[in-house]
Amino acid sequence: MATFVDQVKEMGLKQAAIAKADEAVERITAGMNISDIRSALRGDEPRRPNPRLRPHADSFWLHIRPSFYHTEVTHIYPTFRMGWLSTFMFVWETITGIILMIFYTPSPLVAYSNMWNILSNVPLGQLIRNMHRLGAEVMVMVVAMHMLRTFITGSYKKPRQFTWATGMILLVLTLMLSFSGYLLPWDQLAYWALTVFISGAEAAPAPAIINQNILLILQGAPSLGAGGLLRWYLLHVLLMPLMLGIFFFVHYYKVVLHGLSLPPGREEIGEDTAKRVPKNERTYFIPDILTSELMWSALMVLFLVAGSLWLWDAPLETHADPVVTPLHVVAPWYLSWSQGWLKLADKTLVVGFIPALLVAFIVMPYFEVGKSRRYVDRRVGLSVAFLFMAFMLVSNWMGTPEYAVASSPDREVSIEFLPEQGPSLMKAVPYDEMLVGKFLPGQEISGNPHMTEALAELKEAVLANSCTMGAPRIVTIPEDEWRECRVVTLDDGSKRYDLAFKEDVMPDPYVELIIEEIQPGLKSLQLVFNVTEPGNPDVLRIDTQDWKTFIHADSNYEEECRFANKSC
Amino acid sequence: MQVKIIIGTIAFMLTMIILGFAAIREPGRLEDFTLAREGRQIETGARLYHNQCATCHGVNGKAEECYDAATGESIGCQGLPLNYNQLLCGDTSARMSALNWEGSKLAFIQATVSSGRYGTAMPTWAQEYGGPLRTDEISDIVQFVLNWETEELCSQPLFEYPWPETIDELLVTFPTGDAVRGEELYTTYGCSGCHGNLDDSTSATVGPWQGNLAEEAGTRVEGMSGAQYVYESILHPNNYVVEQCPNGPCGDSSSMPTNFPARMGDSETKPQDLVDIMTYLGLLP
Repeated sequence: MATFVDQVKEMGLKQAAIAKADEAVERITAGMNISDIRSALRGDEPRRPNPRLRPHADSFWLHIRPSFYHTEVTHIYPTFRMGWLSTFMFVWETITGIILMIFYTPSPLVAYSNMWNILSNVPLGQLIRNMHRLGAEVMVMVVAMHMLRTFITGSYKKPRQFTWATGMILLVLTLMLSFSGYLLPWDQLAYWALTVFISGAEAAPAPAIINQNILLILQGAPSLGAGGLLRWYLLHVLLMPLMLGIFFFVHYYKVVLHGLSLPPGREEIGEDTAKRVPKNERTYFIPDILTSELMWSALMVLFLVAGSLWLWDAPLETHADPVVTPLHVVAPWYLSWSQGWLKLADKTLVVGFIPALLVAFIVMPYFEVGKSRRYVDRRVGLSVAFLFMAFMLVSNWMGTPEYAVASSPDREVSIEFLPEQGPSLMKAVPYDEMLVGKFLPGQEISGNPHMTEALAELKEAVLANSCTMGAPRIVTIPEDEWRECRVVTLDDGSKRYDLAFKEDVMPDPYVELIIEEIQPGLKSLQLVFNVTEPGNPDVLRIDTQDWKTFIHADSNYEEECRFANKSC
Repeated sequence: MQVKIIIGTIAFMLTMIILGFAAIREPGRLEDFTLAREGRQIETGARLYHNQCATCHGVNGKAEECYDAATGESIGCQGLPLNYNQLLCGDTSARMSALNWEGSKLAFIQATVSSGRYGTAMPTWAQEYGGPLRTDEISDIVQFVLNWETEELCSQPLFEYPWPETIDELLVTFPTGDAVRGEELYTTYGCSGCHGNLDDSTSATVGPWQGNLAEEAGTRVEGMSGAQYVYESILHPNNYVVEQCPNGPCGDSSSMPTNFPARMGDSETKPQDLVDIMTYLGLLP
């Protein structure tokens, strides 16, 4: 081989530099020089021998990818790109997660202030955190949809049973990865969601000594604390990603080994032709699949960045407090179905049923051995699948606070109007417009649209939790907006006042909001409820003013209201 | 394929534009969140203050308007005022220099809340010292207390009453005392926190019981009237230290706060409080 100096002497500097660059590119791509790349991007026929196959043979990164696909599986249907998207999301979560790790220490003493440091001191910190959070939720959704697609197209059938089994494990790992990250901010949301959820371990159908020890291992102590946080942190950043990585490679190896299954109608019943691809039906990885994947990557990045900036905000509540249980503890939406199940059946039954269901799903392809993948031949299987989906959606809804057991009607009004955590219309009223004084629900304040709007919301909340016996006491709510009470006499002789779809509401309540400035830049907002027994004003049913919230001028709840996932 | 390349390139460029937009507004956003963090700490601090501290330091931090936590009844305030220029104004406030505190004001309040003030009714609050509050809760309370510092509060002059040597000279300016008001002040200033109630000799916890002070005071120092002895003891606790305290020997230096000259002398008329208390104690007619 001639040295570069010899080449310059022979060809001149320009030509020699071009030749050298060409050589470097060919080394980096493991087989394609500049003109090969240009011709691939133009869509020309490859030269012979085909240089576009060499990266699959010689390079590390492409050796696991097939060099061509059946053209039928490269369209949106039948794969919807869900498997690839799942992989993309895993990479995305790894990158954003590593950035967040730099600013995080898993200790209850500092974890929560780390969160505020990320939000207030790390450039683009809020964006990175939102991207990680949004990515986690998208990943759960994508993986679930990937499983659903695989079931519907019958791709779990022989010879891909084991691919399905590893896929089930990957789904569980995805859910656990997402959930194990939940605790790390160490705020009230994190602490109580996890406490309530892992307390399920105590109800498992096993001897109490085993259950208690499992719970102890999960919590690191009789209640969640420093030990528990460290354990869940290590699960989240080490064990779970490692397991997911291992199962991912097993899963993908099987995918490549068996090939992507063709659309069910494309092949004879009982046949699997995925690996026998006629020459004229091949779509080569370079350039078609590669450019397609780059395009989808660019689109996903665009969606995730824009979504994290404007649509989806990772919540941060107040510091975790083991002695103060929030009024409504909620599991993340992707586990909400399990909370729904707890309302349907006994806890032990539910906790025992979930692993049983999981095992059933994993072994399903070894028992469901119908040969045909065609929809028309799988009416029963598909019907069961759709019924199961409907059941999961209903269970999920049942797990949300909307279906929760209501606390006292005044508490329901308070928590809607001035929630302990997160923003609301009232909390987001600009500080200067939050007037000092006493206000009634539905009161209109001229020149103050924010307060008027918030008080209108208070009116709605009051009306939803009260009824009238004909003598409404709040002058700012027109008489015809009240609904009649339904009086129920209880066994002990006392009376309960109901609405058509709601038990125990307030008969003709008096509700007042008191705003005071208690410090420079700090106002207190207090709700006063006064309900007397109808017909006997001396007997008080409810007389409380202990719902008091403090709002600081700089707290900036308005900012949170920008996002689509916040209710205000 | 060209379409894919064009779409991908446009998406990439849009992402870069969005990131650029985010980067441009980032300094402002960081500032907003820094303020929001402080604001929310103050909110939490306010909640904790009203649950834990207001019973002794008063609803508005002025050591006025204290209510029993259980019954809601109005009671005397045991604590010192916090919404108070002697505590909050200046880098080294009057109270910090009175106690020879050399660190920052934030650390002063943080340390006092965390470990309490030994020998007074102020208990320890930090969990590490056996109290109920976590470190983050204590810093929230500190932020809330510091938030009382305003220009208005600090523009009030730090008035120091020129205390005369003897009680007789003081009585020239403040000739009469009001025993009923004195009884209230005896609690407000926190005297009863250490010296107990006058009608129960076992209620004194730190300092000597004062129920028999009217008879005792004159015998403590030879040739000094009872009124002069108490007058000096309140303003300069270390001038005379008795031997026996309710919880054992009193030691060489007094546990009594040394800031009463400041608290009872921050305005022209305030020394009336001292006269009223001494009237209540039976030392002045």
